Amino acid sequence: MRPFTYTSAKNKEQALQAFTATSHYLGGGTNLMDLMKENVERPDQLIDVTNLDYKKITSNENGGLTLGGMLSNSETANNKEVRTNYPLLSMAMLSAATAQIRNMASNGGNLLQRTRCPYFFEVSMPCNKREPGSGCGALNGMNALHAIFGYSDSCIATNPSDMCVALAAIGATVEVQKPDGTSRMIEFTDLHRLPGDQPEKDTTLMPGELITAIHLPKPEFSDHYYYLKIRERSSYAFALLSVAAGLQVESGVINKVGLAMGGVAHIPWKLTKAEEFLVGKKPNQSNFEAAAALEMKDAKPFEANKWKVDMGKNAIVRALTQAYERKV
Amino acid sequence: MTKSINTSGVGNAINRVEGHLKVMGKAKYASEFPVENKVYGQGINSTIAKGEIVSIDTSEAEKLEGVLKVITYKNAEKLKTLEGVRPEIATDSIAPVLQSNKVHYYGEYVGLVVAETFEQAQYAASLVKFEYKKDPTAVIDFEKSKSKAYTPDNGSNYSRGNMEQGFSEADMVVEQTYNTPIEHHHPMELHAVIASWDNGKVTAYSSQQIVEDAKIAISGTFQIPKKDVRVISAFVGGGFGSKLNLDQHVILAVMASKMVGRPVQVTVTRTQMFTNTNMRQQNEQKMRVGAKKDGTLTALSHETLSHTSTTQEYQEPCGMVSKMLYNVANNEVTYKLIPMNIQTPFAMRAPGEATGSFALESAMDEMAWKLKMDPLEFRIKNDTQTDLHENRPFSSRLLVECLRIGAEKFGWKDRKSEPRTNKKGNWLIGYGVSSASRNSPYLKTHSKVILELDEDKVFATIQMDATDIGTGSYTIIAQTASEYLKIPVEQVNVELGDSDFPITPGSGGSWGAASFCNGARAACENAIKTLKNNRNIAEDKEVAVSELLKKNQLTKFEAEGIAEPSAEFGKYSVFSFGANFSEVWVDKDTGMYRIKRMVNVASAGKILNPKTAYGQIIGGLTMGVGMVMAEQTRVEPNFGNFITRSFADYHVPVNLDLANIEVIFLPEEDKIANKMGIKGIGELGITSVAASISNAIFNATGKRMRSLPITPEKLIEAGLEEGVTA
Repeated sequence: MRPFTYTSAKNKEQALQAFTATSHYLGGGTNLMDLMKENVERPDQLIDVTNLDYKKITSNENGGLTLGGMLSNSETANNKEVRTNYPLLSMAMLSAATAQIRNMASNGGNLLQRTRCPYFFEVSMPCNKREPGSGCGALNGMNALHAIFGYSDSCIATNPSDMCVALAAIGATVEVQKPDGTSRMIEFTDLHRLPGDQPEKDTTLMPGELITAIHLPKPEFSDHYYYLKIRERSSYAFALLSVAAGLQVESGVINKVGLAMGGVAHIPWKLTKAEEFLVGKKPNQSNFEAAAALEMKDAKPFEANKWKVDMGKNAIVRALTQAYERKV
Repeated sequence: MTKSINTSGVGNAINRVEGHLKVMGKAKYASEFPVENKVYGQGINSTIAKGEIVSIDTSEAEKLEGVLKVITYKNAEKLKTLEGVRPEIATDSIAPVLQSNKVHYYGEYVGLVVAETFEQAQYAASLVKFEYKKDPTAVIDFEKSKSKAYTPDNGSNYSRGNMEQGFSEADMVVEQTYNTPIEHHHPMELHAVIASWDNGKVTAYSSQQIVEDAKIAISGTFQIPKKDVRVISAFVGGGFGSKLNLDQHVILAVMASKMVGRPVQVTVTRTQMFTNTNMRQQNEQKMRVGAKKDGTLTALSHETLSHTSTTQEYQEPCGMVSKMLYNVANNEVTYKLIPMNIQTPFAMRAPGEATGSFALESAMDEMAWKLKMDPLEFRIKNDTQTDLHENRPFSSRLLVECLRIGAEKFGWKDRKSEPRTNKKGNWLIGYGVSSASRNSPYLKTHSKVILELDEDKVFATIQMDATDIGTGSYTIIAQTASEYLKIPVEQVNVELGDSDFPITPGSGGSWGAASFCNGARAACENAIKTLKNNRNIAEDKEVAVSELLKKNQLTKFEAEGIAEPSAEFGKYSVFSFGANFSEVWVDKDTGMYRIKRMVNVASAGKILNPKTAYGQIIGGLTMGVGMVMAEQTRVEPNFGNFITRSFADYHVPVNLDLANIEVIFLPEEDKIANKMGIKGIGELGITSVAASISNAIFNATGKRMRSLPITPEKLIEAGLEEGVTA
């Protein structure tokens, strides 16, 4: 590993002040440390922000909860309020990684975890995300696990987070500290960006910005929810494909839908068309199938990941069905 | 003093005698020996699949604090190199490294940095700059390189009877191809060594399965006398075949020690475990099976296409099972290999059987389905008590009993023969069965016993260069000494894994338990016999070993023993047998499946310790589940590197993937196998697990999966909504 300096920030001011162009904030380190060992991330300085006072879960003015950016994934997912009001989020977060990793991983860090694309991880291979201009190895290489939506010729990688898929379905606002000491709010769906011709930028965060909180809206899907994660072993595996589904049903009619898919795009892929289609409809098999078909017809798979289209359709229908049938 | 103390002798389920050392962290693995003044070596790997090193810039690395040496082909010690075209790799093969500027595969060692600390060595290794001239003729794509295949000149191609006639007698023929990917052993303990070169004498603390062969490999590679090499491998954190031979990191460490004059530790990283410590190669197995309507097999052909490296030859004997498992007069087994720019493959747990049984036992299931026969009865109908390949009887063979008893325990009669008829909600439920067999070798073993009298108690130390690769060798050897000396196991001390001890075949090929225990037995028997003879005591008279020492006026006595196969052994085929049953639930929407239950019945001779034996079978089954569910190493088709390069990409099963597992050992003592009646068990467990589960998936879904691993995406591609596509 390259040598680096380690700075433990006691407060936000210290963290922001210490930041330089070659610094990296250190949360749980469950992704960053791996990437540093692989020589993919090469910061000169790590600024440990895990001691910063953003570790609470509080009520916010929208009637929802605010999750601290430095709170661990375990503490968040197992929090009673979160489990009761945002069970979809809890379910998604608990499907991720292992108990040990969830104990270390922070909420802010989860939002910023980087792709698992093997070309990104191996420094001897081309990867525009790691080294802009070097090319995309996956485009004409092994891409069975890559994107089917929203990719570009520069990058076909996917976002690996489970938590983010649930947040895309639920909706959230991310609070960010700016280097100048002020803060700004980013809509969750605006946080991650499609690769375009700048795949090195996973998010819209500016250098030195630090995620301090995730503001959740009023709970809407605490009755009908399901996070379906498809993988080849029962734990400790990134999703081949996943679907977060939340429904609000009144008098046999759907009046609110939250739907997003993981493992298919550079960002947690919000299924807006399906959401819009389902509002005002009955929660039944044929409507779920129609919604799934509507989304998946836009997929542009490669030869090796055509299975994601069929699996995606099944997964949307299944997640919606499981969500609905949870309480009828 | 010796009451009946056989609560700790052979056959008892005692706890591991070395267990407390392990949980206390006191069991020393290779890299944990406190060797003074040691430094660290970090290997550097090539980043092309084929070509030449054009230039090397070591200046930045050499400038770093703590760096003692950067070794490349330019300054490396001259070593003995491989001779001939692709010599066959063996457990005692030399392992030359850094001998030229040629690169043969992606990840091949091209250098080693030696530094005061591990961190310094690692960082410096990343700063050495290599410039390559890439050779575009690299062979890295198995599918596209089949025309380059050759028939290995090792006599493995085989046939008996008349294939043409056999197929003409058949009413039904199954002809299918089964694919298994590259798999990696990945023992928990990384390969590691601490080596010292001291005036031409080498000491290597190295994680090895066979210390004698490691010693031969080091002496052969450096062309120094064998007596000047000592290898110590006291505890091994798993091997699965990857530590059978000596890998190049050991040679790098010895070379570096010679060059810097200090002991050097080299630990292979998890990513290097993919490229520098062997693997199981990809196999394409084409099966052709002929049978009469009544289920009689008439012909069986098993063709295997695999790959080897461009520098050495390895051929996994996938067709072995087809030669001996069933009663079929007409049989043909062939092999072809593609020389590829990928590292040399080598034996991985149950080489031949693990992969071969997937092909054979899938094809048998396909034939049973075609014949509308119960796959269990189809197998039983074709049982044989003669090994038709060797043309001699089996020393013992309880395959039918394994199948019958397993069927009873499992509830096989509840199986629905028509696929897709057992459903529960989104789940499609299926049952599968498969037969298992594994050759059970027994090899010459030397052992020494040291008896010490302390008042009325005799303490025994058994020494041999055997290894315990996590299987329980320490425990079963202690139990053997307890049995034959008639002293409690607490009074037995076992010392293993030092090449200064008497020579054994080491651990591998399921020969360890039978060889080691009979070796210990021979030494103990020899000790007692000598003590009796010295005092003219009749050999059949029961006298406690403490009394014998007293009568000889000795407080200490040493004896050696040699165990080896009898002449009778050569007249028989000696195999362990087993049967696997599994119940699998497949989710029709997602392609995910759960293995709900597994029943394994094993007929594996005398069970020395039911606890450690159970662990062996459970471990084998788990690895078999890995083969089916997830394990595969993928080769990048443009660059030739493995894109699965950590445990995040190379998936092994987690606890939740494992079913309720029932293991049944059939009582068996095969005295032809060896005096103690022991057969091998380490590889039986993995054999045919994949077929049993794949057959259950067919029974559940009506989809025949012929390519491992069987992943959710493959099941979705197969189309889980449609009917039966056999």
